[in-house]
Amino acid sequence: MTAFRAILVDTYRELSSKRLFWLSMGLSALVVLAFAMIGINEKGMSILAWTIELPLLNTLTLETGEFYKLAFYTLGVRVWLAWLACLLALVSSAGLFPELVASGTVETLLARPVPRWRLYLSKFAGGLLFTMLQVGVFCGASFIVIGVRGGAWEPGIFLAVPMVTVLYSYLFSACALIGTLTRSAIAALLLTVLFWGFLFTLNSSESVVNGFRIGKEQEIAAIDRLIDRRRQKDANVDVTDLSGEREQADGALQSLRTAHRILFAAKTALPKTDETVALVQRWMVDAANLDSVSDDEPEQAPSVLEKRRRGRGTSFGVVRARERDVVAAIDADQRARGVMWILGTSLAFEAVVLAIGCRVFTRRDF
Amino acid sequence: MTIAPIDITGVRKTYRGGVHALREVSLRVEAGEIFGLLGPNGAGKSTLVKILLTVVVPTASRGTLLGRPLGDKAALAQVGYLPEHHRLPPYLTARQAVEFSGALSGVERARRRRRADELLDLVGLHDWKDRKVASFSKGMRQRAGLAAALVNDPQLVFLDEPTDGVDPVGRKEIRDLLVRMREEGRTVFLNSHLLSEAEQVCDRVAILLQGRVVKQGRLADLQREGACQRLEVRWKGAAVSLPGCEGPEPASAADEPGLARYRVPSLDAADAQPAIDAARAAGAQVVSLVPQRERLEELFMKAVTDPVTGRPPPPGAGA
Repeated sequence: MTAFRAILVDTYRELSSKRLFWLSMGLSALVVLAFAMIGINEKGMSILAWTIELPLLNTLTLETGEFYKLAFYTLGVRVWLAWLACLLALVSSAGLFPELVASGTVETLLARPVPRWRLYLSKFAGGLLFTMLQVGVFCGASFIVIGVRGGAWEPGIFLAVPMVTVLYSYLFSACALIGTLTRSAIAALLLTVLFWGFLFTLNSSESVVNGFRIGKEQEIAAIDRLIDRRRQKDANVDVTDLSGEREQADGALQSLRTAHRILFAAKTALPKTDETVALVQRWMVDAANLDSVSDDEPEQAPSVLEKRRRGRGTSFGVVRARERDVVAAIDADQRARGVMWILGTSLAFEAVVLAIGCRVFTRRDF
Repeated sequence: MTIAPIDITGVRKTYRGGVHALREVSLRVEAGEIFGLLGPNGAGKSTLVKILLTVVVPTASRGTLLGRPLGDKAALAQVGYLPEHHRLPPYLTARQAVEFSGALSGVERARRRRRADELLDLVGLHDWKDRKVASFSKGMRQRAGLAAALVNDPQLVFLDEPTDGVDPVGRKEIRDLLVRMREEGRTVFLNSHLLSEAEQVCDRVAILLQGRVVKQGRLADLQREGACQRLEVRWKGAAVSLPGCEGPEPASAADEPGLARYRVPSLDAADAQPAIDAARAAGAQVVSLVPQRERLEELFMKAVTDPVTGRPPPPGAGA
């Protein structure tokens, strides 16, 4: 325990000795400051003393507390913490493992009565501490801003601390392994960012293909309903056009299902960065009561003929299904992906990467 | 019978590509002695130390460290180590670096704080305890590293080139520290290129060449074995031929003008008497009679020189 604590403290000292640590903290402070400077009134959005008139965004459409909570999630969590702060944390900590295995340093550590795997995992935990600290400070400051400016004291925002740390841990486990293998901070950073980009691409592809798949299913269901309706009016009605349309949609659906199965399998085995961030949203929406503001306003779905007349379909290429139904079905599909699937499989991937890292570190000659 | 702090046999290390760093190395280091491991670059000295300290995994090994099997963590808790070209974390102060080293060895907080203070005073960094290591000179880092190696009050200390980068005053202080450690009953395992320094402090030495121990024993015994013990007779006067003496030796730049040097191939003063009598008879004035033993450097060169080619081996391990 003494050694574990010592490595945690040492890692903190190492990271805090870097300018990037303080730059990152400074940027977090700036984001919170910007957050505190904006507000909402009956005319629209305010920035310090100025007001930008917005008919759809004012206290008549949204309560002040909800505005801040929404801003915290959309800008603070999704943009700042999930992307920029994570990237800064990676830049700061990419050198941790190459430094650990550097000649002249590693010998003194390995000659101690501490198992190598514990050294490796302690260093990893130290790196996570950095992100936890950064996110914790950001959430603490945001909590105060939302409380003071928005009048809503919302402890649910602290859920972002473990979730963003978990998100970062997926990437940092890869960064640690690459750093140990290559002994280069630059290689560790670049390859990790590349891996992150790959995960983002895979995730986006899966989302798009899944959207089209669900859209096509909704389309087929809509065609079936239309055929039924026609037949209810007249049992002998000619539905050849609709049957042809259905067959075409069915063929496309089979291809989409195959493509989605492949992407989904790949995604299951890899960390789900986007969905982990979405979990923060899901829990925050539940915890902070943001349902009313996160849902789309009900709208009158244009008829199929109207859509055709306008020469455009809904999203995901459907023309017969209502967009609202498709979006609801996609949302239901996303929500059906349980926490265990999102976090469990992602953490399993991380555990495998850490195990490989420990094995490399344990068996290598230095 | 006391347990030897280091007792190893048949240690082998072959790296990928078939490079034999160590071939069947056997060593025994007794408690309370300063043991010097000598050898040219690439002989395998550092590899051997790293194997003993679990930094490098051996291809084969048998033996014990402080009476426990090699790799035993409890034994490592009683070992201090200063690697060659070590790098203390530059973001730590000297005190933090020493305390961090103690924490890794499981030394409890109050004790490691006290030890850090004592040791930094001992190595002459009293006024630098709370300065960042990044601002230290190479010699100061070496001193801080030495303090870090001793923080756990080790029974056995491995020092790889401890005087590297240290000024002459610092070297003398480190040598004194090694002697002090021996007096305290600690065992010191010293890897050094500086043969003159090793000669001054080591009780026993081993010479490693291309992964093999080619000579091992008490320094005095090895010097005696060398059969190069002699008396040097120097006088002022004419250079003449003397009975039972080699010489006169060619004058060196450091020699006083008119000084002649002769060598009697014995350490017994009685054997030099005929030469001294002959010198006096020739009207010369005897200036000095100095016993000479084979120096470690000569012993080392003899051990590492190929008897066939008459040359020392090229640097590096053998394939």
